[in-house]
Amino acid sequence: MKNFTDKSRRNDRLAEVIIRIGGVFVIVSVVWILVMISQVALPLFYPPTAKIAATVKLPATISSGTVLAVGSEENQQGAFILDGSGTFHFFKVTDGYLSASVKTPTIPVGAVRVASAEYIGKSAYNLLWDNGAITSVAIALASAKAKDGTVTLTHDISAKEDIAFAATGGIVQSFARPIEGKGVVRIDRLSGDRLRVTHQLVEKDLLGTEKRSTTSADLTDPLPGRLSVVTVDSKGHYLYGGTDTGMLLRWDISEPGKINLLESTPASENHKAITSLALVLGDVSVAVGDADGALTTWFPIKVAGSGDDRRLTRIHTLRANVGTTAFIIASPRDKTLYSGGAGTIHVDHMTSERNLLTIKPSAPVTHAALSPKGNTLAVLDRAGMFTVWKMDIPHPEISCGTLFGKVWYEGYDKPEYAWQSSAANDDFEPKMSLVPLVFGTIKATLFAMLFAIPLALLAALYTSQFMSPKLKGRVKPVVEIMAAIPSVVIGFLAGLWLAPLIDKSILTIFLSIVIVPLVLMLTIFFWKRIKTASPLQRASRGLEFIAMIPVVILGIYLAFLLSGVAEVTLFAGDFKQWLFSTLGIRYDQRNSIIIAIALGFAVIPIIFTIAEDAISNVPRNLTAASLALGASRWQTAWRVVLPSALPGVFSAVMIGFGRAIGETMIVLMATGNTPILSWSLFNGLRSLSANIAVEIPEAPLNSSLYRVLFLSAVLLFIFTFIINTGAEALRQRFRKKYGRY
Amino acid sequence: MKLFWKTGEPYVLATGAALAIILVMSLTLIGTVMTNGLGYFWPRALVKFELKDGSSALGQIMQQEKNPLSGEKRLQLKVGNRDIFGQDFRWIDEKEITTRSLPADAVLLERREHGNYFGMLKDVTAEGITITAATPYDKLQQARKLVAGKIDDTSKIKKQMSDLNHAAEGLRLKLQKLDYGGAEKNAAAIAELTAAREKKMAEFTRLNEQATATLAEIGKITAQMTDAAGGSKDISLTEIIALQRPNSMSFFAKSVAYLERVRELLLDDPRESNTEGGLFPAIFGTVMMVLLMSVFSLPFGVIAAIYLREYAKDGLMTRMVRIAVNNLAGVPSIVYGVFGLGFFVYGIGGSIDSLFFPERLPTPTFGTGGILWSSLTLALLTVPVVIVATEESLASIPKGIREGSLALGATKFQTLTKILLPMATPGIMTGLILSMARAAGEVAPLMIVGVVKLAPTLPFDTNFPFFHMDRKFMHLGFHIYDVGFQSPNVEAAKPMVYVTTMLLLAIVVIASSTAIYLRNRMRSKYTTSTF
Repeated sequence: MKNFTDKSRRNDRLAEVIIRIGGVFVIVSVVWILVMISQVALPLFYPPTAKIAATVKLPATISSGTVLAVGSEENQQGAFILDGSGTFHFFKVTDGYLSASVKTPTIPVGAVRVASAEYIGKSAYNLLWDNGAITSVAIALASAKAKDGTVTLTHDISAKEDIAFAATGGIVQSFARPIEGKGVVRIDRLSGDRLRVTHQLVEKDLLGTEKRSTTSADLTDPLPGRLSVVTVDSKGHYLYGGTDTGMLLRWDISEPGKINLLESTPASENHKAITSLALVLGDVSVAVGDADGALTTWFPIKVAGSGDDRRLTRIHTLRANVGTTAFIIASPRDKTLYSGGAGTIHVDHMTSERNLLTIKPSAPVTHAALSPKGNTLAVLDRAGMFTVWKMDIPHPEISCGTLFGKVWYEGYDKPEYAWQSSAANDDFEPKMSLVPLVFGTIKATLFAMLFAIPLALLAALYTSQFMSPKLKGRVKPVVEIMAAIPSVVIGFLAGLWLAPLIDKSILTIFLSIVIVPLVLMLTIFFWKRIKTASPLQRASRGLEFIAMIPVVILGIYLAFLLSGVAEVTLFAGDFKQWLFSTLGIRYDQRNSIIIAIALGFAVIPIIFTIAEDAISNVPRNLTAASLALGASRWQTAWRVVLPSALPGVFSAVMIGFGRAIGETMIVLMATGNTPILSWSLFNGLRSLSANIAVEIPEAPLNSSLYRVLFLSAVLLFIFTFIINTGAEALRQRFRKKYGRY
Repeated sequence: MKLFWKTGEPYVLATGAALAIILVMSLTLIGTVMTNGLGYFWPRALVKFELKDGSSALGQIMQQEKNPLSGEKRLQLKVGNRDIFGQDFRWIDEKEITTRSLPADAVLLERREHGNYFGMLKDVTAEGITITAATPYDKLQQARKLVAGKIDDTSKIKKQMSDLNHAAEGLRLKLQKLDYGGAEKNAAAIAELTAAREKKMAEFTRLNEQATATLAEIGKITAQMTDAAGGSKDISLTEIIALQRPNSMSFFAKSVAYLERVRELLLDDPRESNTEGGLFPAIFGTVMMVLLMSVFSLPFGVIAAIYLREYAKDGLMTRMVRIAVNNLAGVPSIVYGVFGLGFFVYGIGGSIDSLFFPERLPTPTFGTGGILWSSLTLALLTVPVVIVATEESLASIPKGIREGSLALGATKFQTLTKILLPMATPGIMTGLILSMARAAGEVAPLMIVGVVKLAPTLPFDTNFPFFHMDRKFMHLGFHIYDVGFQSPNVEAAKPMVYVTTMLLLAIVVIASSTAIYLRNRMRSKYTTSTF
């Protein structure tokens, strides 16, 4: 016996521990959900970092005076330097060990020295030789770490397909660009501020024999100052120039034999000399740096008065450098710009206008370059020190400004809120403003609540106060079962049944709003004729809603009939056409009316059930007292019961609101999912929740999109958390007031 | 009159009208789903139209409406024969029609590909079998009966092939693991397994050839058909799943055909990118996911409720737990999906992969959506329902019963297991059923953590270890979304969506009605408390 008691006690204690742990586990899991999804979203806002991976004195065999270009590989282990003899020196940055020195594979006849080198992207350089020839060479450098920690470098140099043709005559700087499948364009900056553009086109005839034709053009337009810097886009379509008087010039050179000056604009108010130019990834924007250290980006937009022409306009002003902006390097992966002034290198993101980092090299920089993936910055300074920085900038394009503010994206004529996460081309910039989505969520919720609240609350009032108790026992479960209807079912019917139906006769909806109440008024008028004490009246007490069902159906049917007439007489037979031509409103088949009805239908049972409970829980003695004092049943319900139940009713509305905010499938299926900012009833929308459902299967793990979607989940969580906690607090107060559940 | 307005009777009517609108909407919803869903399987007459331009059309009338352009009445006709006409449906203006008739010998063929074929049966080429019947239709029936055994054989072979395939795949994964562990160390084992695998593969090839040969033999038996446009086509018996002559079927025959279609719906696999055939994998996936979810949500829900009601003191902690539970219930389901993706799939699943299946990486095993993660995600979603229901039913047990038990010397735990829990069982069941209904209808989070439009294998089969927790699965709710909104031919897919909707709605409505019935019975037993 004692044994049994002991065992029981032990079991009891054990159970208590387990149950307590289980209870605490529930709280932990709620908190954990929030913590976990925030954890994924938070790295969006972590400050970017740059660390020195290694710094080394240049190997003694390379004289720093002849360096033309520097470069590094992705793991911050190896680097290379190109010197004036056309030799690439590969070395380890940890100890300066020179692993190889390789001459470029093709050296033009008669060339001795490389005059300058231009980085053309994808690890390739154009080398301008002293005799005016250009060759193109691609570098591949990789490092591998063995198990024992030793690092080996592997390198490869390959001549790219021949884009060289010779030119002569005082060449200062040259650019060569392949024209896709057609040949090469070469742009020479000659001494004395002259520019020459030469197209060499290759045509193949049917037999496969090549025919080369060379067309050359010299710049003849007078310049508004001395040219200080020139650059060309990667396709060889546009030539950009800056002058020492601060003018920014743009020429169209896409047509062989022509240099067409498109515009000449002052780049700054104080006409400081332009010192550097660079094209931002995608070749749409050009970054301009001047002698004052300013850094601005420009792209062509439509300007008032210029007709269809697009004119270069200053779009983004980034953080200024100290002293002159000596160089600008555009990141090969995104719209990040590295710009250097006296003693500092700024890292800025163009679109978000975010100053990501400021790097302070120990001595003035002579050469700097990014690795092909953009995560390593190699810097050679005047003191001959070679430094490799490991850049960690996972989400440069995201800031509170881009998520919640207007952003001026490339190709847009003004700053806008936009959501467009992906497109077909590579250099596409994702646009991730949460504003259209939050707006869509609010719009859907508001319209749905406008539809649901009156219906649900009035019906709840009727059910709890006027309906016969016997029927109430039947009707309430029906509404509760409605709450269990899967949202995918409602969404499907809304999208594929209701939307085409309303599309056919949109006016029915508007007329119903007028005609159903009218028919109701008429019914009430006739109802009044029947004497209050007559048997019919007495029998119908608590059953009025049954009589109302045919009235409602009749009203909707009348509205349907009239809508046909109205459409023909008032709107020339086609309401949608009229809407578009007169008011300029586009009509989407899956629009906000559908959403209001479908989402409203989904939250009605929730609001109804909770509100009905709250109203029913008002103590009977209050109603009894009111009725005994001679108040009618409506007066009692409206003046006595409803005010007492108000907190409960309010909490019902809030819970319904919370549900509507997070509802996914209905919004996904019943709208076109277009992220637009428009209050129009006839347009679709995209909500936060539907957006997550649409985008997250495509979002790569830990990408910006993935994290932004988690951020929107956090927003949804917090929205609903606040609403639900508020509703719960109200309900608790309400319960306390009446002392029962 | 003034008194009438003052007493507020009109307002009462207005509130009644609000309720009426809600009820009308619900009935419309149910009615639409029912009429569209139930009617789909009933064999519709094949109507032949002679048109003014001299052509003719054969098909089933789907609907009638006013032509939006001319205002004339027009008919939507399902003409089938998608491989020939390009489209399943066409509109015919009524004024274009000269005669309409119901040819008794019009045949409807359900085919494996390209949807239904409507036309006339001319003859049957019976190569390799002897047919004694006289009319073409009887000939075709007889031919089908004669080859039925062979078709059964091929499906048995197919089953063997899939088992072999599974075995070979298992061996391949073992090989991969050994290879990962060190190819030289395990050379002997690798050689042995490779041999075993090759043997299986050889057997597979042999069976495959056998099946192909049998099918080719049957394929020579064809039905020679002509369609309404006058074209003729030979359709091989292997292509034909079912055939009927709806115009000459009696009511009884139609009922039999109807039931046959219902059986197909419930027990067969889908065809034609889910727009035809059965729903079996989706039903199975839904049920299994819901059951698996209950295994997780029930114990936790009940324990949490017991803690709240019986163990926790009414203080700050308890209030916080209550608010937490309420918030859990109110958090949008998509947020759970996001959490499931980040925590279960990439977090735990990713860790499992790198710990136990490193050789298969980067192909994920558990690090991708699957039935286990889906059930866990939904368990989290539905646990508040169980908690609230259990707590409520525990609260409704009169205090006297507890005190009586304790006074007789029972420990708290004994009181709980012997007295309270049995009394609360209906309430707990209510919660469980409600949570199952919710899980069965929830789609948004599943889209993220493991549902697919077409799963090649069920998550449960006869191959060891029987339950395949890492597999993706199909789900009725997702099926609705996918077929209704993602399929290339939405118009042709609509009936299937309605049927799926009806099925899902039936499951959910029956489950919730049961739960509500149970709850109301319990409530009348102990009185008080609310939803």
